[in-house]
Amino acid sequence: MASSAEEKVIRTRSGIQVQHGNHIDTIESVDLVFRAQRKLSFSFAAVFFIVTLSIPVMTVWWEPWYGVPIWGGFTANYLVVSLLYYVFLWGLSFTYIKKADALDERLSHMADEIAAETAVEPIGGE
Amino acid sequence: MGDLNVIAIVMVIIVTTFTVGMAILVRRFTRTTADFYLAGRKVGTFANASAISGDYLSAASFLGVAAAVYASGLDGVWFAAGFAGGFIVVVLFIASALRRFGEYTIADFAYGRFRSDRIRLVTVFMVLLTSLFYMAPQMYGAGTTWTVLVGAGIFGLSPYNTGVLIVAGIIMFYVFVGGMKATTLNQIFQFWWLWTAMFLVCVLVFVAGNFNYPRDLAEVTAEEHLDVRTVSVAQLTEVDPETGQALIDEVREYMSERGLEPVEAAIETGDPGATVGITVPSTNRLHTLRDMWFNEPGHRYNALDQFSMVLALVLGTAGLPHILNRYYTNPSGQAARRSTFWVLVFIGTFYILAPIAGLAGRLLIDDAWRAGAAPDNVNYVDGLLARSDTLMPTLAQILGGEWLMGAVAAGAFAAMFSTTGGLLIASASAVGHDVYEKYINPDAPEIKRVIMAKASVLFFSLVALGIGLGIPAAGLDRAYPALIAMMVTWAFSLGAGAFVPMLLTGIWWRQTTERGAIAGMIVGGGGSLFFIFMNVMNQLGHFGDEGLLPLLGSLTFPTVFTFPAAVLTIVIVSKIDGQLPKNVDEIWMRIHGTASERHDKELGLDKSGGVFSSGQK
Repeated sequence: MASSAEEKVIRTRSGIQVQHGNHIDTIESVDLVFRAQRKLSFSFAAVFFIVTLSIPVMTVWWEPWYGVPIWGGFTANYLVVSLLYYVFLWGLSFTYIKKADALDERLSHMADEIAAETAVEPIGGE
Repeated sequence: MGDLNVIAIVMVIIVTTFTVGMAILVRRFTRTTADFYLAGRKVGTFANASAISGDYLSAASFLGVAAAVYASGLDGVWFAAGFAGGFIVVVLFIASALRRFGEYTIADFAYGRFRSDRIRLVTVFMVLLTSLFYMAPQMYGAGTTWTVLVGAGIFGLSPYNTGVLIVAGIIMFYVFVGGMKATTLNQIFQFWWLWTAMFLVCVLVFVAGNFNYPRDLAEVTAEEHLDVRTVSVAQLTEVDPETGQALIDEVREYMSERGLEPVEAAIETGDPGATVGITVPSTNRLHTLRDMWFNEPGHRYNALDQFSMVLALVLGTAGLPHILNRYYTNPSGQAARRSTFWVLVFIGTFYILAPIAGLAGRLLIDDAWRAGAAPDNVNYVDGLLARSDTLMPTLAQILGGEWLMGAVAAGAFAAMFSTTGGLLIASASAVGHDVYEKYINPDAPEIKRVIMAKASVLFFSLVALGIGLGIPAAGLDRAYPALIAMMVTWAFSLGAGAFVPMLLTGIWWRQTTERGAIAGMIVGGGGSLFFIFMNVMNQLGHFGDEGLLPLLGSLTFPTVFTFPAAVLTIVIVSKIDGQLPKNVDEIWMRIHGTASERHDKELGLDKSGGVFSSGQK
């Protein structure tokens, strides 16, 4: 298992709760985390794939992109694929990780609050 | 054997000794299966990022990328960019969810997510196939590198077979003895060794080679791009009835006097079956009306392959079992994300350097050959390397003499050690953990489990050895000019078709069912295998020039079809099936729940520990 603390799955009348030490996940708190992370990941993925796939699109159909040198022997196509694409990857991943960490931090408090509100007395455990 | 080869061998021995010594050193810290497969889940961010990079940078990256740029110009540069871009998909969609879910392997994830033995076994099968596809180019790289750098065999074996045997033997020993901890430490060391070797080559390209990126790119582009081709005397001298000219007439127009010497000598023998290397102008497969230039696309890939190659490379990384296994060694989901960022920095800098080496090689090797100063342990055709995969050691020898060549040689072997080590762990865990511990002997004591893991390593080492020895016999090395990079991309295509759709939908779409996931894996994985097989058969010349078969075999990278087909299959079958696991809420909470991480953070348990410690935290 991922956790260092023993995982307790608690069944309640309104669903299940997963407990690690003093912290509880309810389906409502997990749903909150999931939706926020999905929005973040898919937004960044959209940027990544639009930029990445626009390169072969221009490579196939736009001559000024692939056939005209702009700096010594560099065409825009060669310059982007050999150098600038990495700057894009680093910037995108750095921004994503900062946002994901901040989201984790914010959601961890909210998840505890939601869990405290929605957690109910167990009807059984395992 | 000259001094040059001795230095190269000594430096390879130093790397190898360190590798084996590390395995022996960490042996006493490897007591449990968690230690053996996952290094006790305590690998820190920097260490794990270095180890993932070492795992990832194989012979294809160290030898193949620079060689692909040398041979194909811009189309070769895409290998570097695509290999790096794949980690964005990993960090956005896979890394933290996979780590939160826990477990040991990708098959464990499939079982845990869909609660099905059937999907675990399908995943194990696909993991083994993907790993074998990835091991094959490492073994081939071992044989060819040994041939170039050492040039001699042992016990009556050919140099190629000797290289394969020695590399397979060393990797088998250190993975067998040290498991993931030894593999992790070696991957860290090996990554930094080969990064440094690439960096030194490029520093000398700028300093000793007086390199100027835009100016030299313009210089290479000033002349039409040329390919090296091996032809028979009969092909050279056969007169085309329409033009009244033979190929040799054309060749005499653009090959230099010195370059023509072996060609004329071959013709003079009068043996129509004798073969010789010539240079011919490349054709542009993308913009067919344009001539082919180094800085333009189209040397290798047509329009469809341009898209499919990009998709295979950026999606395939998220489907490589040995890379995904490493995410379980992070102490938390947040650490998994940070590891990925550092991986992007480490491999990104490496991949910026590799195309510089490829471009510089196009000029410096030609200059050295025309000055009579090129190393004589590789073959040239009018100043071009006969085999582009020999670029890195040749360039290093020209720039830095025997010591730099030795460092590059050791780097090449380090790349093979680190990647094949990771693949052996992935394969061993698929059989030892996913099959033996779950189905054959679930009550096995810990010692038996570790023995089974080691037996699996032994078995797959022998399989890798067999594959390495079999590649030349199958004729693949003659069918593909840049075989190392090509075979690695097959593994990427298989991973992108078989695993990535299952992982993405399994993590992000709650309605994914077990039947949907299995159907998607079969369509994506099976489709990839089919297209790869058709391409191999086509390249080997079994399909002729016309009809459906050569059309199906013309697709170099199948991902543009297999990935969407697999995703669509998962969605459609899941919708029709509709049978979610009974405890789907609990499963969903394990993937996206954060109580465990909140708990660990509160107690300060989310920090990594030392690799030199035993037991799972």
